Amino acid sequence: MWVQTMSKPTNLVLLIDDEPKIRRFIRAGFELHGGFTVQEAEDAAAGLHAATFNTPDLIILDLALPDRRGTEVLDLVRSWSNVPIIVLSVEANEEEKVRLLEAGADDYVVKPFGIAELIARSHAALRRYFKSEKENPVVVTGPLSIDLVNRTVLLNNNQIKLTRKQYRLLHVLATHLGLVVTHDQLLDDIWSGSVRKNIQYLRILVRDLRQIIEPDPNHPRLLITESGVGYRLQSRLEDITLA
Amino acid sequence: MILDGGLPLLMSLALVGAATLGLLLIGRFFPANLAPIVYLIPVMVAASWWGTWPAIVAAIASAASADFFFFPPYYSFRLDDPQAAIDLSLFLLVALVSGDLASRVRREKEALRRREDELRYLYGFSRRLAACHTVTDLVEAIQDYLTETFGRHAAFFIPASTAASRPAASDTVPAIIRNSVAAMMKPGEAPSRIVRDEEKNNTWLLRTVTSADTPRGVIAVDLGNEPCATINRRRRGLEAILGEASQTLQRLDIGGAMEEASHRLKDQLLRDAFHGNLSHELRSPLAAIRGSASVLESMPSVRSENQALPLVSTITDEAERLDSFIGNLLHATRVSASDIRPHLSCADPRDVVNAAVRRRSRQLAAHQVDVRFDDDLPMIDVDSALVEEACGQLLENAAKYSPPGSTISVTVRPGTECVTVSIADQGAGITMEERAQLGRRSFRGERHREVVAGAGLGFWIASTFIKVNNGSIDIESGGIGRGTTVSIILPEAVIDEDDVGSNDE
Repeated sequence: MWVQTMSKPTNLVLLIDDEPKIRRFIRAGFELHGGFTVQEAEDAAAGLHAATFNTPDLIILDLALPDRRGTEVLDLVRSWSNVPIIVLSVEANEEEKVRLLEAGADDYVVKPFGIAELIARSHAALRRYFKSEKENPVVVTGPLSIDLVNRTVLLNNNQIKLTRKQYRLLHVLATHLGLVVTHDQLLDDIWSGSVRKNIQYLRILVRDLRQIIEPDPNHPRLLITESGVGYRLQSRLEDITLA
Repeated sequence: MILDGGLPLLMSLALVGAATLGLLLIGRFFPANLAPIVYLIPVMVAASWWGTWPAIVAAIASAASADFFFFPPYYSFRLDDPQAAIDLSLFLLVALVSGDLASRVRREKEALRRREDELRYLYGFSRRLAACHTVTDLVEAIQDYLTETFGRHAAFFIPASTAASRPAASDTVPAIIRNSVAAMMKPGEAPSRIVRDEEKNNTWLLRTVTSADTPRGVIAVDLGNEPCATINRRRRGLEAILGEASQTLQRLDIGGAMEEASHRLKDQLLRDAFHGNLSHELRSPLAAIRGSASVLESMPSVRSENQALPLVSTITDEAERLDSFIGNLLHATRVSASDIRPHLSCADPRDVVNAAVRRRSRQLAAHQVDVRFDDDLPMIDVDSALVEEACGQLLENAAKYSPPGSTISVTVRPGTECVTVSIADQGAGITMEERAQLGRRSFRGERHREVVAGAGLGFWIASTFIKVNNGSIDIESGGIGRGTTVSIILPEAVIDEDDVGSNDE
């Protein structure tokens, strides 16, 4: 529903995974959901070929490919294209996730996963991609509405007051709505130019911001922690049950 | 002795000559008869540098030159004065006795140094033993130790049944020696043998190492290809050390070390297999099952079918259970390999606990989970992924061992430079005996084995993960049927207050 309102009627998804059974259910899930056309590639070579000639709107890339490491494919595609990429991996290791995000992946999904999670991440990645083209300046999620141009934030339609750093944090997360943003990226964006960067500042800044925007700051549902990786601003409140 | 000690004897004589020259020079200026005292110097030097025989030679030579040069009639060995004869005899006696004493001190010093060397080798050896993971490592360590101790090429052989692979060093040992070694492995054979390798003209000394009457291995030392007399002398020296070395090996319980090493090797292989392919092989089909079920679940035709939907949910639930079981096994192999390197950083305890509850939401679905955070919680300094997993394991245990519908309460409160997370259930409780055994891998209480599924890894993983985070874990219970409370204490993060202030600008 998102995609239809924000871009063309169907999005071409390039699915690079060597396991036919995984491809089968992802294709079924995307087609059932509507708004997607799925193209499959069973190895890195076929995937790179399709990425070059078919200009997909979204790439879903498995990291364990028979002919090439998934991270190499990621690097190669990123060297010429800005297309949203979601990585699939059986590895749930935090450093690996951070490395993938820094290498240019828009998000990751750890196997095994439910199709709803992958579709939600795909929407988020597509939205970010099209937003940068269409410049929709107001991001809305749950009770929160963030005007990126006027730098105002409404909570339940009442304007709230944030410190400069609190607003900066919310701004960066809002421009990646639904996607994870790494600690390093947040530290760079919020404390730009400052010599010493420390994750402690970020933890405390997040705690303070949650006190203001979360209905129950002890059980946050908007500003979500991705353990060992970063933070995510949920695009819809019910997304939380997917995790 | 004469061949080996030729140089020291000559040196002793030269020292006596030097003393004589010195005395002749001094004699020109001082009339005093210093001869008996000055001649003690070469005797003592010879005794303490070269040992008994050079000292005796120096003593006799000194007495002779004193007689010749410094007792009248001069430049003759004749003695006219009976007093001079007594002086000279006394000198000879004192020289011999003190020479003997000095050389004894020297021998003891040498023995001490040798002992020190041996201790050093032994210390290095025992450190290396501790680092041995395979039988091959162990055999190499023993070979190096023997070669260092003997100063000769040495090899250590183990019975074929223990050998995981043939150690490289034994390839340099001739076949005939290897055959004798094989023969000596049989019980009832003589513990020591001399074997001659005709091909290279070398002689080898072999000796069995036993522990609890089982031959654990054979030490073979190359004595070289020198004349019979040298070989025999060397052999006597080596046999003494060899006896000691084989006792040392017995004392260090080489048998036990070998068994442990081969266990460790098997463990390692299993672990590698599991971490490499096996977990991938197991998880890929699970990913297809879990994913396909999730697509089925979202199909309108399935959703409208009352009987199909619960079946699909069962597939999803069980696939997730299997996946978490594989995850547990992975954690367990990491714990048993002591292969956990925590990345400590500042974390909000709320995040860690919330994530643990969320990740276990399926396992906790039948219970009321009540999470309470104190208002004034400091940040903690932990590896959040590990602590999250530990909390998850404890929550899962709480759910397993308490009746559905009961409450599991999680309280998070600050302490002195720490944060305490308590997980309390209203379940089966725990007895003192069960509590004592809890830290063990695979422990499962007798009372629950029949009714509750699991591998008994949960508490073991949780307590290890908490400990590597510099935390502690405690469990208490009012007794059977009165619930269990597990408390985790985690270190507070040290925050630089000045820097934090800049957040509020």
